[in-house]
Amino acid sequence: MKLYDYELSGNCYKVRLLLNILGITYETRTVDFYPGREHKSPELMQLNPLGQLPIVEDGGQVLRDAQAILTYIAVKYDASGQWYPVTVPEQLGQVAQWLAFADSITATASAARLHDTLFYELDIGAARAGAHLLFRILDEHLWFAEQSGQSWICPGDHPTIADIACFPYVILSEEGGVSRQDYSAIRRWCDRVKRIPGFVPMSGVFPTSSAAQKLKETPAFRRDTIGP
Amino acid sequence: MHIDLNQWHPIASSSDLPKRHIFHGQLWGRELAVWRADDGHVNVWENRCLHRGVRLSIGLNEGRELRCLYHGWRYANRTAGCTYIPAHPADAPARTISNNTYPGIEAHGLIWSAADPVGEFNTPEALQGSDVFALRAIPVNAALELVLSHARGYQFSPSGEGEASVSVQNETAGFITLHAKSANAEATLLLFFQPVDAGRTVLRGVLTAKPDTPVALLRHHNQAMSAMRDQIEAKAAAMDRPEPINVTFQRVDAELAQMPARAKSGPKAELRVSVTHKWQVATGIAGFRLEALSGQLPTFQPGAHIDVRLPNGLQRQYSLTNGPGETDHYAIGVKRDPASRGGSECLHDVVQQGDVLAISAPRSNFPLRRDALKTILIAGGIGITPMLAMAQTLKVQHLPFEMHCFAQSAAHLGFDDILNTLGTSTTRHLGLDPDATGAVLRDILTGYGEAHHVYICGPGPMLEAARTIAGNCGWPEDAIHFEYFKNTNEIDDSSTFEVALARSALTLQVPAGKSILEVLRENGIDAPSSCEQGACGTCLATVIEGEPEHQDVYLSPRERASNKSIITCVSRAKSKRLVLDI
Repeated sequence: MKLYDYELSGNCYKVRLLLNILGITYETRTVDFYPGREHKSPELMQLNPLGQLPIVEDGGQVLRDAQAILTYIAVKYDASGQWYPVTVPEQLGQVAQWLAFADSITATASAARLHDTLFYELDIGAARAGAHLLFRILDEHLWFAEQSGQSWICPGDHPTIADIACFPYVILSEEGGVSRQDYSAIRRWCDRVKRIPGFVPMSGVFPTSSAAQKLKETPAFRRDTIGP
Repeated sequence: MHIDLNQWHPIASSSDLPKRHIFHGQLWGRELAVWRADDGHVNVWENRCLHRGVRLSIGLNEGRELRCLYHGWRYANRTAGCTYIPAHPADAPARTISNNTYPGIEAHGLIWSAADPVGEFNTPEALQGSDVFALRAIPVNAALELVLSHARGYQFSPSGEGEASVSVQNETAGFITLHAKSANAEATLLLFFQPVDAGRTVLRGVLTAKPDTPVALLRHHNQAMSAMRDQIEAKAAAMDRPEPINVTFQRVDAELAQMPARAKSGPKAELRVSVTHKWQVATGIAGFRLEALSGQLPTFQPGAHIDVRLPNGLQRQYSLTNGPGETDHYAIGVKRDPASRGGSECLHDVVQQGDVLAISAPRSNFPLRRDALKTILIAGGIGITPMLAMAQTLKVQHLPFEMHCFAQSAAHLGFDDILNTLGTSTTRHLGLDPDATGAVLRDILTGYGEAHHVYICGPGPMLEAARTIAGNCGWPEDAIHFEYFKNTNEIDDSSTFEVALARSALTLQVPAGKSILEVLRENGIDAPSSCEQGACGTCLATVIEGEPEHQDVYLSPRERASNKSIITCVSRAKSKRLVLDI
């Protein structure tokens, strides 16, 4: 599998995250999204006429749209069927609903981040207000999920691609000036996502401490030379 | 806006603090990092790392310590003192590096704090003794007064549905009490207002009795309060946005900002502690649990020791056995020394549970690096005490280590409660004679690798043997760390020489029969010290010029040879004159 990837893109990060969690090896083709705008180049426009990332090539097929790619990867490579529960209509409906919600997060929280970090011209006030509106909904949803013993966005004991799809632009929101201080349930859910085995960070996304006792910590800080 | 920093407010729900999480809170403009340690203690800290001001709420709650994500500074549960700075792995952080904290009380499903509290926290009367039920908090982007004016008209139903008449029963600083009555039910709600900032308030509701259908009631209030929030925010949007509260932070601790008062010379024993537990740890070893009479005990690092002032006037040094984050007490183990000059005997025979002792703040002259690829701890007899603290630290941080405990027998070793938590990383070597001990040490110390470190504490002869064997096995001196119980060298104090104090611009004569330390004190120089026999390293001074005559057991051979440090309580000068950086 080949991922057309931009390191700072939350949508590309979604795909990397799921591939890592599922333990799938893949290659990346780095795209100069900023400042080169390579995603608008003829070569890339041929693959995705919308001029967006990510794009995935797998076995001759070309797929665009982060949520569509997550769906494809989960159904094709997750034998357990838990990341995208195709056989349980109630769960599947929920997953689809929150995948669409993730798109709305991209349109608001990610837009605010593009404005602040990559100098996109857009209505920053509207983008931030829109993100806060969505975060209020997500926080309330997760808070009541916790009340009934649920850890994830969709019902069930296992995370789904809805968690993966919503996570990146939530956790990167502060880069767009959208604080998560008022969303305590979202903050706890972010910790839980970070503890999914196979979780990988990206620039601006930090690991959390281990809840379990098992974590193998390699010394992160070491001097190359010891002594005076 | 009236700011009352003395008032206690709920700032989080208990359920906001699950294991290993850091809650991001705020009160009167002050950002808070709120976290529960694995022992259940709730910490409410100023939300900024002392080092570069990064928010601690994005740091790591490691259960006993909080680690800043930026440069890895670690802060202890309860004390908020810094326990480790990765950029200085070989040094113990200064005792004065301590985060600003706020009080934190957990009660009635809520966490309570105050920016500048006056007096103790008191439970509001309506919550006393009742089976209270905290609702979902609702943050509102509006000033406290506006929220309050709407909250007086808050409508809810005791059962979660149907009509009810609601009245304000009581209004007091920080909250209002509402009573709802319907045809067949009634309920009392305390609505707290957490002033987050000038234009932001959190509504925290608490029912005085747990409802029959909790989730339905949670949803009922969530819906009603969210609707009220929308109304309030619509009003607030039409008004001028208040400026955020301008919080002035204390730049540094008061203790750091001013020169400390000139203290009386001599070893310090400024803390009063009570012996809350005394027990038999092993044959000939008594354990003591020491708790502060009031306030918080100072931060310690693994390997630290305290001076204990005994009822008979003697002063002795004991290593803390505490694991990281165990900051509500100090624990020491004391071996009865058959050749006791009155120290260990007094602790064994005289000091009892309930007694009050004077102790010093912990000193870290035997610091533990946390960047080693492998750490070996070697303990002989009671030398196990600092190793217990080190081993527990390495264990909870999942750093690779092995601990080897040498003792006469299992009954003499003791500390099973701690050793059993360390699992397979600990090996007990029991009843070995010196030759067999040497063979085992050779075995343990064979295979030095880069960034391996060994820590040794035990009786003199065993320590000497271990150091020699480590050297023979290729361990560089920087990788061999040791702590002697006492200095058994015979001190020769017959020389006379001159000591020049570069910073103090003072030149003193040290006559035969007096130590440098004594001469310093006679001349009004306040020099720290602890064991005063050349073992602990507290009185170490930097040598600028001249050649010391080393008589201590603290410095390593390389440190001795470099002539850059001197242990002033026992060592003297070979040259006619020493220039010290004092």
